[in-house]
Amino acid sequence: MSEFIYNLETFLSENGIYAMTFILLGLGIFGMVSCGNYMKKIMCMNIMQVSIIFFFLALGQKEHATLPVIVENVLGADAYINPLPHALMLTAIVVSLGTTGVALALLMKIKEIYGTIEEEEITGKGWKK
Amino acid sequence: MKNKKKIIGVVLIIVAVSGFFFKFPNIIPAVDDAKAPVHSYISGFYIENAISQTGAHNIVTAVLADYRGFDTLFETCVMLLAGITALMVLSSTAKVGKKQKVSKEIKNASFSGTIIDTAFRVIVPIIVIYAFYVFAHGESSLGGGFQAGALLAIAYMIDRIIPSFNNSLGTFTEQGAAMTAGVGVFIYIFTGILPMFNGGNFLEYGRLPFGAEKAAELHVIGITMIEIGVVVCVMATIINILEVVLERTEFDE
Repeated sequence: MSEFIYNLETFLSENGIYAMTFILLGLGIFGMVSCGNYMKKIMCMNIMQVSIIFFFLALGQKEHATLPVIVENVLGADAYINPLPHALMLTAIVVSLGTTGVALALLMKIKEIYGTIEEEEITGKGWKK
Repeated sequence: MKNKKKIIGVVLIIVAVSGFFFKFPNIIPAVDDAKAPVHSYISGFYIENAISQTGAHNIVTAVLADYRGFDTLFETCVMLLAGITALMVLSSTAKVGKKQKVSKEIKNASFSGTIIDTAFRVIVPIIVIYAFYVFAHGESSLGGGFQAGALLAIAYMIDRIIPSFNNSLGTFTEQGAAMTAGVGVFIYIFTGILPMFNGGNFLEYGRLPFGAEKAAELHVIGITMIEIGVVVCVMATIINILEVVLERTEFDE
């Protein structure tokens, strides 16, 4: 039992955060598949993108390191966390903003043409009850 | 019945993923591991050479605006295209009479109240000042063009959707916002072209035709100039999407 608790502690301290982000990713994809409402699908897509952003930010961490802004008298690559995931995710956030905007515009067009944003009412079939 | 299936699916995902990571802990390096492969190759080079090569204290800005300037250029183009796409999708005229209905409804909408008016009246100028702070500190401390653009757009958005403000920051039309985003991309590309008059390559900041003693200063000038372009483009794109969506909004639903 104590060995199990020790394992659990190592798991939570070492890669528990990765498990959390993958759970979030799975929930986002599951929601995109299972939800019949297009607005909820967009929300699930955003959850998925946020999970990927969390994953990359967690990947960039280092022990005993500070923010990637150079301070005087502090030198060496080990003193700063990895700036590359931050740079990548900054652009990913912007892209997610753009995709959400275009998706909302398409959603408004669908609402105008079909009068509804429920998938079952538009296609006549959906997630089985 | 429908909800039961969804709950089973959610529980299955949680158990499967956490069980997988619990069973195979070595599949990915630990969070704080400084010797992980992701820290081994190029990131050390960026950290050690960023300040001497680009003059930017903020390594993220140095990577975004200097080492990977092309990528950020096309990133801003993606924003411009997203705004234009939203404009094109919703470019057909809305149903007749909807606009007047909106302006009538918006005065009685539930989000106009004394507390909201007073609170946001204080917050909007602070947001604008903070946006300029974030922009100006882009290369010397935390901050950058994308964040400053988003903050300016938020200030505009608050001003736009709270009716008692009477749009005191001015209003963009949709086409005007799309054109402003284009101007932002133009500023970026123009900054890239400027070194070519001085015999350099596209986006080679060290050859900008300004007088400066060190190359690092020229790099800082170049980074600031492209960040102006990024701020303008991001702000205008968010405003563009907001205006396009707001034009068709019915508040009675």
